Amino acid sequence: MGFEKFGRFGYVSQTKITPLLSYLEKRQIAATKCKKCGRTYFPPRADCLDCRHSTIEWVVLDGKSNLISFTNVFFAPPAFQPETPYLLGLAELTNGLRVFAPISPAVDKDQLRPGLELSLKVAKGSGDNLYYWLE
Amino acid sequence: MGRIGIIGVGHTKFGKRSDASLRELAFEAYSSALDDADMDSSKIDGSVVCSATHYDKQRSPAGVVAEYLGLNPQPTFNVEAACASSAVGLRTAWALVSSKLHDVMAVVGVQKMTELSSEEIQELMGRAGDVMWESPFGTTMPAYYAMYATAHMAKYGTTEEQMALVTVKNRKYGSKNPNAMFQKPVSAEEVLKSRPVSAPLKLFDCCANADGAACLIIANAEKAKKLTDRPVWVAGLGLASSPMSLAGRKGPLTSFDVTKNAAKAAYQMAGMGPNDVDVAEVHDSFSITEILNYEDLGFAKPGSGTRLLEKRETELGGKIPVNTDGGLISKGHPVGATGASQLFALTKQLRSEAGSTQVDGAKIGLAQNIGGIGMYSAVTILKA
Repeated sequence: MGFEKFGRFGYVSQTKITPLLSYLEKRQIAATKCKKCGRTYFPPRADCLDCRHSTIEWVVLDGKSNLISFTNVFFAPPAFQPETPYLLGLAELTNGLRVFAPISPAVDKDQLRPGLELSLKVAKGSGDNLYYWLE
Repeated sequence: MGRIGIIGVGHTKFGKRSDASLRELAFEAYSSALDDADMDSSKIDGSVVCSATHYDKQRSPAGVVAEYLGLNPQPTFNVEAACASSAVGLRTAWALVSSKLHDVMAVVGVQKMTELSSEEIQELMGRAGDVMWESPFGTTMPAYYAMYATAHMAKYGTTEEQMALVTVKNRKYGSKNPNAMFQKPVSAEEVLKSRPVSAPLKLFDCCANADGAACLIIANAEKAKKLTDRPVWVAGLGLASSPMSLAGRKGPLTSFDVTKNAAKAAYQMAGMGPNDVDVAEVHDSFSITEILNYEDLGFAKPGSGTRLLEKRETELGGKIPVNTDGGLISKGHPVGATGASQLFALTKQLRSEAGSTQVDGAKIGLAQNIGGIGMYSAVTILKA
């Protein structure tokens, strides 16, 4: 329980990867790693695709990333409408995994282009919501 | 494997159909398909009802649709693959008829969307992506496709002006389609000046939610030849999937692997390639999608889809006319009906019944239908 605290507006409350939230509280972003074969997953997964083992450990990411693409959202779902316009991006982390995340409003949108170096950092939402964004 | 033929097609007016319920829309399309096939319900031995059921007030709509169409006690069930529901419905019915479990089936694509408040629609739209990892950041359908547009623009120099050509072309043909939601042409300037939705996509780059239905009646070769003298044959069926999450996909977001994989399967089954196609219907949920589809289907090389538009090669008289019924951008997009609507248009083309938008001598048609944010893609090849 409790995963609905993830994101700016969470939809899913029950999952095996809820410990992500305790890393976010420590201002860390963590991936899961299969204890058997060592494959790393981000966003975190509870179950390894390669060996189907479900014993995982958490590893902290450095957050360095390169932007792949982005958009500026003007027309939004109801819960997000007051925030418009806002930026969303897809970026590749140094371990080759990808992350879909908001882009911090502090980033100059005119500077955005694929390949731009950004950093994935912990962000606080309204209430006690926690997530990450690119800045 | 015997051939499977489309022997009757029906289509409602698409748009804001505040005059009709889901079951009544289904009836309009089904009844006109029976008229088209010059047959009655007695020979239909099963129905496949295709809709994105989360939009429907009626739970498990196949139940009420089959009842209203008079198709009890024959088997019926729903097929859901988001915007590709009725292309997948045809694939399902094709397999059921090929296996000889059925002889003649009705594939009914139907969607009632405008009954929902725009709040409800937007809330549903917000959950179109991965609800654990992407929806919590405020994703929308246009936002996903906008990110493909941004990437295509950065890599190939594609411009908003070039994207506007898709809408201008499709709205031009939509003005000749009495079933289309929008029947007024638009200029490139109007497209470029329309309000931003998710940059770089603007309102007129996007298709609209709509109500509507389309129906296909299919039969095995023996029945098809007996029941009609103008069957259109299913020559190739391709369907593929892709990770639903954008983060799970590979590559620079300048193409859809899911469409390339579906096209490969369909071309292989039909023993054809992109150069054999005379007329196509592609999924123009957004202007950029049509451009990517040209490239993913092999009509153009990667990055050069916009040249087809500039050289008018996808217009009537061009190398490969695309969306001569106006596409989703003109017709509106009643999610579950769109795949069958594309196949309705191709069937008309291959029977030389497309009137002022007829492609002369069209013998081979291709339809491509994307589900949701690109987790499914279906390619269907029809032959006169």
